[in-house]
Amino acid sequence: MTALPPPVVQALAAPAPPPDTGMITVSEASKFFGSIVAVSEVSFSIGGGVTALLGPNGAGKSTLFRMICGLTPPSRGTVRVLGTDPRHDRAVRGRISLVPQQDALFDHLSASEFIGFAARTHAVEDPDRAAGRALASVELSDVGSKPVGQFSKGMRQRVKVAAALVNDPEVLILDEPLTGLDPVQRRNMIALFHRLGDEGRCVLVSSHVLDEVARLGSRVLVIAQGRLIASGDYRDLRGLMDDRPHRIRVGVSDPRRFAAALVDRGLVSGLSLDTDHVLVDTLDVDGFGRQLAVLAVELGIRITEVSPLDDDLESVFRYLVEGR
Amino acid sequence: MTAIEFSGRDRPVREVSSFTSIALTYRIILRQLTTRGRVIALTLLSLVAPVAGWALGASDASLDDSVRLIAGIGLGLVIPVVALVFGGASIGDLRDDKTLVFLWLRPMARWPVAVGAAGAAITLTAPITLIPLVAAAALTGAGNGIVVGTIISGLVGVIVYVSVFTFLGAWLKRFIVWGLAYILIWEGFISQAGAGVARVALRKYTRSILVDQTGTDLDLADFSLAVGIIVPILVAIAALALAAWRLSAQDID
Repeated sequence: MTALPPPVVQALAAPAPPPDTGMITVSEASKFFGSIVAVSEVSFSIGGGVTALLGPNGAGKSTLFRMICGLTPPSRGTVRVLGTDPRHDRAVRGRISLVPQQDALFDHLSASEFIGFAARTHAVEDPDRAAGRALASVELSDVGSKPVGQFSKGMRQRVKVAAALVNDPEVLILDEPLTGLDPVQRRNMIALFHRLGDEGRCVLVSSHVLDEVARLGSRVLVIAQGRLIASGDYRDLRGLMDDRPHRIRVGVSDPRRFAAALVDRGLVSGLSLDTDHVLVDTLDVDGFGRQLAVLAVELGIRITEVSPLDDDLESVFRYLVEGR
Repeated sequence: MTAIEFSGRDRPVREVSSFTSIALTYRIILRQLTTRGRVIALTLLSLVAPVAGWALGASDASLDDSVRLIAGIGLGLVIPVVALVFGGASIGDLRDDKTLVFLWLRPMARWPVAVGAAGAAITLTAPITLIPLVAAAALTGAGNGIVVGTIISGLVGVIVYVSVFTFLGAWLKRFIVWGLAYILIWEGFISQAGAGVARVALRKYTRSILVDQTGTDLDLADFSLAVGIIVPILVAIAALALAAWRLSAQDID
């Protein structure tokens, strides 16, 4: 992460100096671990509602979250949460909650005990009642007496979320909270995040999965190689992704004739071929998809495979950061 | 997910009182530390002392020999090693398994966490070490003085070693290696070199208490009872203050 190329594409609104009004304000924050640059000159400010932090694995999302929660100080720059430094302000730690990415829990405690412990360490009034409500909010009331050490990964994730909700936080930081959840739980959890955001809380959720981010909300921060490369509306990011060149591998019975037809009809911006496949670069992936079957019928050839090669998140970030 | 209502934005800022912080930390760490393997292994180690005490008593050994046994096996090995395992793990294990965040990201001061952690470690170390050591002292048949001396010196030893190793666990990832190096190399070997070096070895103070209570003559044990008690207690307080500072200053995963 030491060699940081300048972003060729400023995907959405270029990150601007943050105003002072945000519930979380990060100003030119960097974090170094020896010679490793984990986070580099990140600035943003966010308020109430759900914001998604999107980035591939190793992009610096967890380090950024740790700085926001005060778990590690920035090497440079400043981080303010609710107007104060979370590293040194004891009181503000009672208004922040973190769902950490790691799976560690006090495994000997039951779910109720674990969440009750979280409530007590936040000085919540009537901690047992608060723990019961938090357990209900993640639909784990019926297994509250079981040790969390016996829980599946998805259930442990929900316990962590419940423990994070028990102190009624104004700022909720969730590091990959949907990992290990089944589709129904994912949908329910996302609905819960939206409801919390609608109540005016600042809900910051990280993910490396594009489809999750699409459902998390319209506001998105994009981080790659420790740098904030884009911030703004998710639909703009999606549009940018749709506009970029796409590479598709098509398996056909007669690659040479198929490739010639593609060029004749102007469906591709570049291609290469081998004995069984045509590797296609196209700017109009929808038009290409529509014409593919028609062309195969007209030419009397058989299509054996259609595989997009650059739909993964890494390729999206490569395009955003490096323009390729 | 069930629709539940949270209380909203205008609630007062809450902080956890120091007493509550100590109690919460104590309870959670006590349960974390109490694993069957640890307790059995360390109890077996401690049982070496009464076996040796019984053997010594059966052979009509002198009071000096009995005091040397308690000082060597009890104060020099059993108490430091058991205190290292429990004291070091009290915060060190939480940091290593990444559950420390559940105590750190809370509106709590750091010193009650250090005190609660040390308290939990003392709760386990004291019975596992002191009961066998007092039994060993009694089995030597060398009188009441050695029993009383073992109780006082052992209690002081448990408190100071646990506190120092609680700090070591908060400070270093390989606290067991560094702790054993301190016990075996510094205290067991280098501190024998002379009175100046021994002054910075904790065992000199606990040995002094034992000698004071038995009227015997041991090498490197010439402090008064007051010094033998007060200095280790001050060291323990300083170690817990350092552990609290370390908790504040370190990065948390």
